[in-house]
Amino acid sequence: MSDNGLDPLIHVPTRLKIVATLAALPDGDTLSFTRLQDLIGLTPGNLIIHLRKLEEADYISSEKTRNGTVSMTTVTLTGHGRKALDAYTQALRDLLGGL
Amino acid sequence: MNHASDTTAAGNGGTLGPEQAAALLDRTTQLARRKFQPSPPWLLVTRAVMVLAALGAIWLTVRGQHPYRGPTGADIAVLVAFVAVNFTVTVAVRRHATAGISGRSRFSQGEIMVLVTALVAGVVAIAVLGAAGVGFATYPTSVLVVPGLAWAVLMATRANWRGVAIGLAVVVIGVVGAFAGPAGAWAVAAVGLCVMLLGSAAAITWQRRRHHLATARMTG
Repeated sequence: MSDNGLDPLIHVPTRLKIVATLAALPDGDTLSFTRLQDLIGLTPGNLIIHLRKLEEADYISSEKTRNGTVSMTTVTLTGHGRKALDAYTQALRDLLGGL
Repeated sequence: MNHASDTTAAGNGGTLGPEQAAALLDRTTQLARRKFQPSPPWLLVTRAVMVLAALGAIWLTVRGQHPYRGPTGADIAVLVAFVAVNFTVTVAVRRHATAGISGRSRFSQGEIMVLVTALVAGVVAIAVLGAAGVGFATYPTSVLVVPGLAWAVLMATRANWRGVAIGLAVVVIGVVGAFAGPAGAWAVAAVGLCVMLLGSAAAITWQRRRHHLATARMTG
């Protein structure tokens, strides 16, 4: 946690967008890497870097499936990630309420 | 790993103050919900207006019939065209919204089979009752009861309470239509389905607005 109580892993514009986008999906749903990239507007390389950091913290999980010659990567927010976003939102509320 | 340093690193979109973070969180959530919505409010309102126009027009042509003879071939053709256009647009919008999404919210093969079976069973039951001389079986609203009930049950198994409300509303329209007479049932279907679609659009909009207001209060 940083000084202001905001999770530093989420408190980065790009990762906040990734986590918020995945949280908008119903519980248990996954999103393809290409659709996420389209929504966030990042290059594949940049998106992979951020996803890796979130995955290392167990905020998201990804799965690679192969159908013939076509492979697809899907991403989902884990329960831990959803809780982290809730805590982040609450921390923001506390911070802004206290201003 | 030093997470704190990430907030200022290049390629992350710059630094972020709490107000900016709240605004970005709200904007991203709103955008994602809008993009993932398989039945957006604008589509529901368009369908509401179209269903009111299509079924209302039929009611206007049959309300003066004594005895009741039913809609003309041209009316039925317009209705079939409306259903076809509605189906095509709905499928296209849904496909666009749910592209790349998989998981629990998607219908399984079994669920699709249940819905199709309910629709076919509803039509067959009405046809059988109609052939047996049961008056309300020929009303346009009667065919809504079984599919509406199936939808409500399916949505209940998914704890989707807005979906349950929609299914039950369709059942109520079907039941009320049975008491409205053959011509009146067209008016019940037109007004009932229009109100149900507008209500559904209002519920989605209200839910989005509530979330947006919560964030607006947060950022002052």
